[in-house]
Amino acid sequence: MSDFDLEDLVHVEQTFYESGHADGFAHGRIHGLIEGRALGREKGFEMWEELGFYEGAALMWQAIYAKDGKDTDRAMHHARHLLDLIGRFPRTNPSADDGIDISALLRQIRSRYKALCASLGVRASLRVATADDGAEAEAEAQGLNESPARKAQKGVWKVDGAPAPPQGLSF
Amino acid sequence: MAYEFTTSEPQASDSPWDDDDGVLAHTAQDSEWTKLSTNFTNAGYREGITAGKEGALQEGFDTGFALVGAPLGRELGLLRGLASALLSHLDFLPVGTVADSQREEARALVNALAPVRFSDIAPRDLEAEQHAKEHLAADGDDDDDAMDENEELAEKRRTEQLEDMMRRLDAGSGREGESRMGVEGVREVRARLEALCVAVGVDARPIWI
Repeated sequence: MSDFDLEDLVHVEQTFYESGHADGFAHGRIHGLIEGRALGREKGFEMWEELGFYEGAALMWQAIYAKDGKDTDRAMHHARHLLDLIGRFPRTNPSADDGIDISALLRQIRSRYKALCASLGVRASLRVATADDGAEAEAEAQGLNESPARKAQKGVWKVDGAPAPPQGLSF
Repeated sequence: MAYEFTTSEPQASDSPWDDDDGVLAHTAQDSEWTKLSTNFTNAGYREGITAGKEGALQEGFDTGFALVGAPLGRELGLLRGLASALLSHLDFLPVGTVADSQREEARALVNALAPVRFSDIAPRDLEAEQHAKEHLAADGDDDDDAMDENEELAEKRRTEQLEDMMRRLDAGSGREGESRMGVEGVREVRARLEALCVAVGVDARPIWI
């Protein structure tokens, strides 16, 4: 009787632990997925809302300039580059592992957007300045919110599955 | 001495004591067993839930980012950028070359898009809702650890709800009648924007994704 207890006890502890662990793991996984999704949705939205804004602005100016037959304008050069840069930005969770420097790309995109606005502003009068201010303030605000979060993300959100391969950083 | 010892001792220990001892040993064994089971199961559960959660966070994040956040953000951002650029363009034009109504429409579209938040147009996370329901249903049965996990998420949700409330207050005080615009509202703005492009003569057809 006592032999049986002692013998079995060792396994039984392990068995109890393992069954508890399996249950906990399954439950934890659900919570991890839910919480991760919630964070990822917010983060992806935040990032691509900004990029989408630049993209939309560039596309609209291209359409407007095309209408006026001014495709070769300097502003359109900026618009093309801006769209090209945005096209390189990953649609999936960017990470340091991709070999793509997201912060650098984002900086390039923002400054190219500013250049686009500046060249448009030169052509046109003060109204762009107001529209520009709004957009830049938005960009600034997002930039402020983002810099610490993005740094944290680099560390925290190590990507398992590699997102779409970057098309190169040359600019 | 020896006789006394052998007669008295077995008598004392043999009859009631031995039986009692056996019963006690059995109940003690049972409770020990239960304790053991509970302790080890709980320890395993506790570590399992942490491991499971940590292992799944990244996967969930990437899914949410790629499938919901990024495309939705891009869609809204595009509309805002398009509307904003169109408004700037219309604002440039000398007075008289563009109908005031078109300019006003562009401004209305920009203003309509401005307050839209992720929470307004985000699809529901049905899985999360389902799991929250399960927690509610299982309330009393829930393990302490599970409640801790849930509490953590609940707090995040409370913060989000509070933010939403603040946003609603902000939007409500500033724009009477223009309550939260949802997916339908955004779709409507998009249609108006397309129509405005046609009216203005900007060929924006290749833009619409």
